[in-house]
Amino acid sequence: MRSLDHLFEHSSRSLARRTSRRSLLASLGQLLTGAALLPLLPVDRGGRAWASDAKSGGPETCEYWKYCAIDGFLCSCCGGTSSSCPPGTASSPITWIGTCHNPGDGRDYIVSYNDCCGKTSCGNCECNRNEREKPVYRPSRNNDLNWCMANADSNYHCTVSVILGVAEK
Amino acid sequence: MGCLMRSAPLRSAATLCLTLSVLAHAAPPPLPAEHLTVQQLPPKSPHWVYVYDEAFNNEIDARVHLFDGDSYRRLGQIDAGFTPSVNLSPDGATTVVATTYFARGSRGARTDVVEFTDNTTLAVTGEIVLPPKRVETAPSLFNIAYSPDGHFLYVAYLTPAASFGVLDPAHGKVLGEIDTAGCVLVIPSGPNRVSSICESGRLLTVTLDTQGHEAARALSEPFFDPDRDPVFVQGIPTTRGYAFLSFLGEVHEVDLSGTRPAFAQPWSLVSPAEQGRWRPGADQVGAIHRALGRLYVPMHQGGEGTHKDGGTEIWVFDMPSHRRLASWPVQAAGLSRVLAVQVSQDPAPILFAASNAADVAVFDALSGKLRHVEKHLGQTPWMMLNP
Repeated sequence: MRSLDHLFEHSSRSLARRTSRRSLLASLGQLLTGAALLPLLPVDRGGRAWASDAKSGGPETCEYWKYCAIDGFLCSCCGGTSSSCPPGTASSPITWIGTCHNPGDGRDYIVSYNDCCGKTSCGNCECNRNEREKPVYRPSRNNDLNWCMANADSNYHCTVSVILGVAEK
Repeated sequence: MGCLMRSAPLRSAATLCLTLSVLAHAAPPPLPAEHLTVQQLPPKSPHWVYVYDEAFNNEIDARVHLFDGDSYRRLGQIDAGFTPSVNLSPDGATTVVATTYFARGSRGARTDVVEFTDNTTLAVTGEIVLPPKRVETAPSLFNIAYSPDGHFLYVAYLTPAASFGVLDPAHGKVLGEIDTAGCVLVIPSGPNRVSSICESGRLLTVTLDTQGHEAARALSEPFFDPDRDPVFVQGIPTTRGYAFLSFLGEVHEVDLSGTRPAFAQPWSLVSPAEQGRWRPGADQVGAIHRALGRLYVPMHQGGEGTHKDGGTEIWVFDMPSHRRLASWPVQAAGLSRVLAVQVSQDPAPILFAASNAADVAVFDALSGKLRHVEKHLGQTPWMMLNP
C-alpha cells in the first residue's frame, strides 16, 4: 500500500513540477490523457472534524470505508452515488488519489476522489476525513483544493470516491 | 378591557379597573417618526475581528463578518463570493478579497477578481480583474497578501500549475505572473520578496524589481520533513516572520527579515510522553500575541489523519522559553471543537476561538476567562483576522 502510495504520489508530484506556466498547454494535454486512463488528483475544501476514526458504514455515511480521506459533500446524498456524479453536474477530469482499507474483504484499494462540478455546493452529508492527507504544497495528497478548478464551470457540488483497483502489498 | 361588574360591593374595584383602563389607553405616548439611515461604523478597535465564513453549504456566497469583541455586536459584512482568498492591508484600512463569480450565479463564465473594501465604511472601493487562475482552497494568510509596505499585492494561482500574480493596488493593475515551479502560496517579506512553500519542505523566495517582475530567485534548504511531519500552511505572524506548526506539534520559526529565510531550531508543543497523542489541529491552527510572545494553539488527542480535527483545549505557550503556561479546556466552557483562533495585539488582549458549531468565543487572553460566546457567527468560520 505504501509503495503504491508513493507511486501515485511521485507521478502527481512530477505532474505538478511539469505544469509550469510556460508548459501549461503541454501539461494540460498530459493531464487529460492521464485522466482518461486514471482519474488523477482530487480535492475538497477545509472543514470540520468528522469521523476521523470511522471504521465502516454505508455509502451515504461519512464512515463508509471508501471515504477515508474525503473532505466535502457525499454525492451519494446529492442524487449521485459513491462513484457517480448527480444529474446535471460534470465530473472533474483531475483529482487526487488515496488508499482506503475495506474491512469487508480486508483489502486495500486505490481510490480516486473526483469532485462533481457545475452546481453550487450540495450542502448534504458533509464529510471530512483525512487519512494520509497532506497540505496544499503536496497537491496530489490534498483534499482542500477545489478540484473543479480545471472544469469549464469550476463550481463545486460534491465528491465521489471511485475504486481504481486493489492496492497490492 | 372587560370590567362589567353589577354587584354593589364590587363598585370600588370597578372604579379602580376603569381608572387603570383609562391609564392604559392614555399611555404610552406614540413613538416618534423615524428617519431611515445607514449605520456608520464606530472608530476601529483592536478588539475587532474579521471572521472568514466559507458558507460551505452554499459555497458561492462566502462572506466576512466584522465582529466587536467588546460589545459583542456584529458590525457589518463584506461579501466574498466563491471560495475566496481574504486578507487585510498592512495598515488595516482595507480588506482585500480575491474571489470568483459565475455569470449566472452558480454557473456560467468564470470571472476572478480582487475586490477592495474600505474598512471604515465596508463599501467596495475598487477591483482588479484577474486571470482565472487563483487558488481555490482552504483559507490562509498566504492565498492573497500585501507586501509589508503595501506597494504590491500578491495572489496565489493554482490551475494546477503553480504561480502567483503581482498586482499594483494603487493603480489597479496586474503587473505580471511569476512561475513558482510547483511551490505554492505567497508569503510576503520586505518590500519586494515573496516566498512559496515547496513539496520538498523548502521555501522558494522570488525577489521582484521595482516593476514587479522577477529579479532573482533562491531555494532554501528544507526546514521541515513533508513525509514524516508536514507543517500546516497556516503560518502565524511573528515579529520577524512566521511560525509554522507541524502535524506532530513542532514549531518552526522562520525569520524573513533578511534577504534569505533563516530557520530557528524547531521546538515542540508536546512532551515526549504526549507526542503522537496530543497534537494541534484546526483550520487556523494558532495565534501569537507578538509583544507578549504568547502562542495559542487548539490541541486535541488523536492520531494520524486528525490534523483537521479541532481543539478540545487551547494551549498557551511562552515563545521565548518554549514553556507551556496553560491549558484551557474549551469543552468545559460549553464549546465544541475549536477550528480557528486569533488574538488581539493590544496590552489587554482577547482571544477569539471559532468552533465547528460556528460559535465564536471571546476569552480574556491573559487569564483564559470566558467572556462571551457569540452563537452562529456565520456558517463555517474558518479563519479570523485582526489589524
